[in-house]
Amino acid sequence: MSQLLKKNKNLIYPGFLWFLFFFMLPLVIILIYAFIDNFLRPGTPVNFTFENFLIIFQRKHYLLLLGRSIRISLITTFFSIAFAYPIAYFLAKKTKYDKILIVALMIPFWVNYLIRTFAWKLIISENGIVNKILLGLNVTDVPLRILYTEFAVILGLIYTNTPMMILPLYATISRIDNSLLEAALDLGASRTRAFFDIIFRLSLTGIFAGTILVFIPVLGSFAIPAILGGTNSMMIGNIIENQFIEVGNWNFGSAFTLALALISLAMIFIYSKLFGLKSIYKNQGL
Amino acid sequence: MEKRKPVLLQIYTILFFIYILLPIIIIFIFAWNSNEGYNFPLSGFTWKWFVQLFNDSIAKKAIINSVLIAFVSATVSTLLGTALAFGIMNSSLKNKGLFLGLLILPVLMPSLTIGIAVLVFFRTLTIPLGIPSVILSHVSISMSYVVLIMLGRIEGFSGSIQEAAVDLGASWFSSIKDIILPALMPAMLAGWVFSFMISWNEFIVTYFLIGNNVTIPVYIFSQLRFGISPKVNVISVIVTGFTIIMVALYILTRASLGRIKNTRVLKS
Repeated sequence: MSQLLKKNKNLIYPGFLWFLFFFMLPLVIILIYAFIDNFLRPGTPVNFTFENFLIIFQRKHYLLLLGRSIRISLITTFFSIAFAYPIAYFLAKKTKYDKILIVALMIPFWVNYLIRTFAWKLIISENGIVNKILLGLNVTDVPLRILYTEFAVILGLIYTNTPMMILPLYATISRIDNSLLEAALDLGASRTRAFFDIIFRLSLTGIFAGTILVFIPVLGSFAIPAILGGTNSMMIGNIIENQFIEVGNWNFGSAFTLALALISLAMIFIYSKLFGLKSIYKNQGL
Repeated sequence: MEKRKPVLLQIYTILFFIYILLPIIIIFIFAWNSNEGYNFPLSGFTWKWFVQLFNDSIAKKAIINSVLIAFVSATVSTLLGTALAFGIMNSSLKNKGLFLGLLILPVLMPSLTIGIAVLVFFRTLTIPLGIPSVILSHVSISMSYVVLIMLGRIEGFSGSIQEAAVDLGASWFSSIKDIILPALMPAMLAGWVFSFMISWNEFIVTYFLIGNNVTIPVYIFSQLRFGISPKVNVISVIVTGFTIIMVALYILTRASLGRIKNTRVLKS
């Protein structure tokens, strides 16, 4: 028996070595790059430095950008919870057709988000549907400038990421036992009180899992700000792309990338301490 | 508990689904609209954007590359991921939790971090960018998803069957080949389709690693930046159609998992 288990252990190696070599090792190289002052090349001398991180905090431009990225991610996460919660609650408790509706929800989610973002560009552009309606209703005389603003970026990010919030919320809410709610009502709690003390409190795990699934990719997004945003709504991702594709300052770019990785690792760590790592993937609804 | 019809909630849900589906409807409309501008009222029905797309050699190359990358990386990551998940759950390995925690990192980290890290890694080792490097890192991302999908199905049944087979005289290799693999086949199929979709839709990592080559998402992105042709809509219609087929396949394989799992186990 233990012989069998030992042999099964060999099955781990191909995948794990792949993971070590093509996922972990690149992260280590980024870590090195962030703390040195030149390219890692044979014959090029390199020195240890904190300069790459100090620049982020010394130049107002980068601090502003970091602040904006965090602000956009927080707003997006907040509104995706607000939009997703009623849907998740409806799917979990108020309908028999939840399985079919989830599938309907998943299909646009699987269509490339660049395509959907492009459609939003059409919808909110100066002669797009939104402006046509507003002009037609005489709400405004001149077309509103929505495209290429921070607002447009947030709209696009909320749109793409709300389904990621619905899935974990739906999974946790549908597991809540209805009899708990009945008991609360029988004991005289108001509907509102019963909802907040039971459903909402028990769905907190789902909210946190969804927050991780939305906040982290939003913080690292660069395609949506590039398409819908202007120069005043660039995010960390755009700076990182710029450093690697155009400027070619790998050390500074790596420092920014590392900062992004550390923020997400910290969130995952806090979450796993609070709820256990298992609940993140148990709630993804794969 | 008295039942009240959640009218407001129903209206909200309907509005939400319109909101979710609206961009896709718009894209479909303009794929067949004859005017190049994106304006209402529509100017008439046409197939010309389809014709133009099929005469566009870069777009055709993008489609071929996307299919190739998704096919290879789905196959490799399904094999590696299945072996990993089975090995972790059914072996004498210690620290299983730590292993799993590490392995789900590619799912949780921003893909930008992964793309940049692999880009720097390949450049430092002077490995040329292109399709092989895209496949390498697509595998490390979708392998994690395969592990997650397999975990739920592996616990519970496969360990004891394998034990029984070996007790009855089967070798370790044949216990894997004849017992475990057939029993896991439906879940592997679901994992394969899922990995295919991850790779097919993946943009950020691909963008950094593809070099001078192109895939569908990279092609769309370049089109979005430099002038928008309705050809993009046609690509979207094709991609959407294909996606719906793949999602349907995924759901069908997942739905039949339970039944197949039981019958296969009994037969073997």
